[in-house]
Amino acid sequence: MTDSSAANTGATTAAGKVVRHVGVDRLFHWLSAACVLILLATAFLPILGVEFGWVTIHWMTGLVLMAAVLFHIVRVLFWRGLRSMWMGSADVRDVVAVVTATLRRDASGLPKPGKYSVAQKFIHHAFAVVVLTTLVTGGMMLARIDTPWWQRNPYLLPDAVWGVTYVLHGLAALLLITMVMMHIYFALRPEKRLFLRAMIRGWITREEFAEHHDSRRWQVDR
Amino acid sequence: MELFRVSRDIYGREVLEGMSWDLIGVFFGIGCVLIVGHALYRLILAPKQR
Repeated sequence: MTDSSAANTGATTAAGKVVRHVGVDRLFHWLSAACVLILLATAFLPILGVEFGWVTIHWMTGLVLMAAVLFHIVRVLFWRGLRSMWMGSADVRDVVAVVTATLRRDASGLPKPGKYSVAQKFIHHAFAVVVLTTLVTGGMMLARIDTPWWQRNPYLLPDAVWGVTYVLHGLAALLLITMVMMHIYFALRPEKRLFLRAMIRGWITREEFAEHHDSRRWQVDR
Repeated sequence: MELFRVSRDIYGREVLEGMSWDLIGVFFGIGCVLIVGHALYRLILAPKQR
């Protein structure tokens, strides 16, 4: 499957750069990143002994992240489309090729990905599942705290349901620790810096495009 | 190390409270191991361009 639908086609700037992430996508990424870091800090620092009034910051940040994710889902479903993130048979072939190249210690035959590599798609989908789990369970847990809009009701659901809800919320939060660490590590690796720059400034150069991407799988404006 | 936090209700029955926070260090440790493992993989095993 190619990333050739109109919504996923990269545009070129006047300077001949290839636009990888438009402004609204970058804003969503960094807003989500800030929310996740605040949520992790407000969740885990009090457990580690750093005491402060974390509950209000936590649920309000959760609502901001919920709004951002809903915006992203609507934008992807109705405007951008799913093609560039879709896992297909070409991705399976890419994984086989990487394993084969690793065993042979020869990267010369490795296929170039489209806009996103299979690893980037995988980490996106992993974050999607884990963040959605925290948002759904966190949304349910809002019933147990007082907000300006409602009084707490801890008896809304049976204890067993609350238990499973808290386990899922906690497990997803714990997974986020590992995933955020990995994500930051890969973003800072020298060979991945172009993707970090693209997420900050939006573009990659023509040379980077030619070196890292298959122009048949990610068709950009000529 | 416990996987879950549990308490007892007024009837003495076990009530699930959530994941054990002892696991914070485990997940942080897994992250460190994966990062070091990948860095070593890139250094030693990763296929080279010929």
